Amino acid sequence: MALSKIDVSNMLDETLPVAQGGTGVTSTPFPSNYSPNLNFRNAIINGNMSLAQRSTSVASISSGNTIHTCDRWKTYASSAGTWTQTQEALTTGDAYNDGFSTSLKLDCTTANGSLSSGSYLQIAQSIEAQNLQYIKKGTSNAEQLTASFWVKSTKTGTNILQFVSLDNTVRICAKSYTINSSDTWEKKTITIPADTSSTGKIDNNNGEGMRMIFWIAAGTNYTSGTLATTWADTANANRAVGQINNADSTSNNFEITGVQLEAGNSASDFEFLPVDVNLDRCSRYFTIPARGAGSDTTICNGTMYTASEFYGVLEVGKKMRAIPTMSGSTGSNTYGVLGDASEDLTSSVAIGRTTNEGVVKCRVNASSVSKTQGQAAWLRFSSGADSNSFISADAEL
Amino acid sequence: MINTVEKIYDKISNNFDTYKLTKTDGTICFVPLDPDNTDYQAIQEWIAEGNTVIDNPPE
Repeated sequence: MALSKIDVSNMLDETLPVAQGGTGVTSTPFPSNYSPNLNFRNAIINGNMSLAQRSTSVASISSGNTIHTCDRWKTYASSAGTWTQTQEALTTGDAYNDGFSTSLKLDCTTANGSLSSGSYLQIAQSIEAQNLQYIKKGTSNAEQLTASFWVKSTKTGTNILQFVSLDNTVRICAKSYTINSSDTWEKKTITIPADTSSTGKIDNNNGEGMRMIFWIAAGTNYTSGTLATTWADTANANRAVGQINNADSTSNNFEITGVQLEAGNSASDFEFLPVDVNLDRCSRYFTIPARGAGSDTTICNGTMYTASEFYGVLEVGKKMRAIPTMSGSTGSNTYGVLGDASEDLTSSVAIGRTTNEGVVKCRVNASSVSKTQGQAAWLRFSSGADSNSFISADAEL
Repeated sequence: MINTVEKIYDKISNNFDTYKLTKTDGTICFVPLDPDNTDYQAIQEWIAEGNTVIDNPPE
């Protein structure tokens, strides 16, 4: 029988497709754990820590709230020791055997065994609000959420995974999990209840809808209450009750990978994405359009607006979450402006007029060079530039 | 952590179009006037706390 039409109505209700005039197939093409929204069910981006555009290793982390290595994973630190963070290449262990080649690792280099009340150390990812509308948070139809992840920690005991939603009333929910064996990969699955309170609604916009937080150390400001195991209005004292101090020894490491957050009360297998898809998703928040990974790396073409001012337009890439903050490395003779059969060197550039319509573009201005006004010119990282010189675009949450 | 914030004017149009943000670690970045940009939000909070933006408009 020639197959001319497919009745799609039953595809939509997740039963099997049937050719019109024919009979249904007798075996399902879907795995036994098939669930709706199979693709892109993971609300976490770069959960397998496979992309680290900024750096693969950063030392001396003791304060601030910054993404150091793996894309989308921010470190929040204050008075909880000093740490080196790496995107770690995995070669053995149960996480590796489950398909994970990389992890985010924190290595304590200066311990703090006596945390102050306000001490904290967290690894967290902020989730864009409009990507969370399907969980219907703040409505009577709100979904439960299930987090699954691999974790390896030197110190055994209780750790806290906490969620916070920031729109309308700030709401929190937290669950504990236990590290049973030192320096051994363990898979954890945690389900949190639905938030049906209308005050917990997540706005439908490009702001931060929810943050998933792995606590690593917490002072008494965050541990002195009762752990908020159901969604509740925020109270710092209820955020990390029971959290052990992983910062109390320089022998301590804390490592995670395979982080997935999905609707429902059970965890499906981790959703591995092709590298290009993962890069695209991360680049909505951060990208590096030019890096001096070697000498003479192109940045953009332009023209000499005056004899001393080069202006060019750099096309950064696809539209980002918001108009990005632009940064450019600085340092003696980092940049070269070529034209008139010569190169003029300068230590910095100014970047402005950044736009985010269709693609991201910005104006790059190099000053204090000496060329002929009106001449075409080319801006690059000079042959003397540090090989890690870069121009970045940051639209992170 | 914000150290200084300076208004950057387009040398062609003389319009204020970007903040130059210098962080305490010496990092310099250029922040667009976009309320959705988190650095822009941080600058507005920094200003609200009583800090002063460097402003040297073109002649």
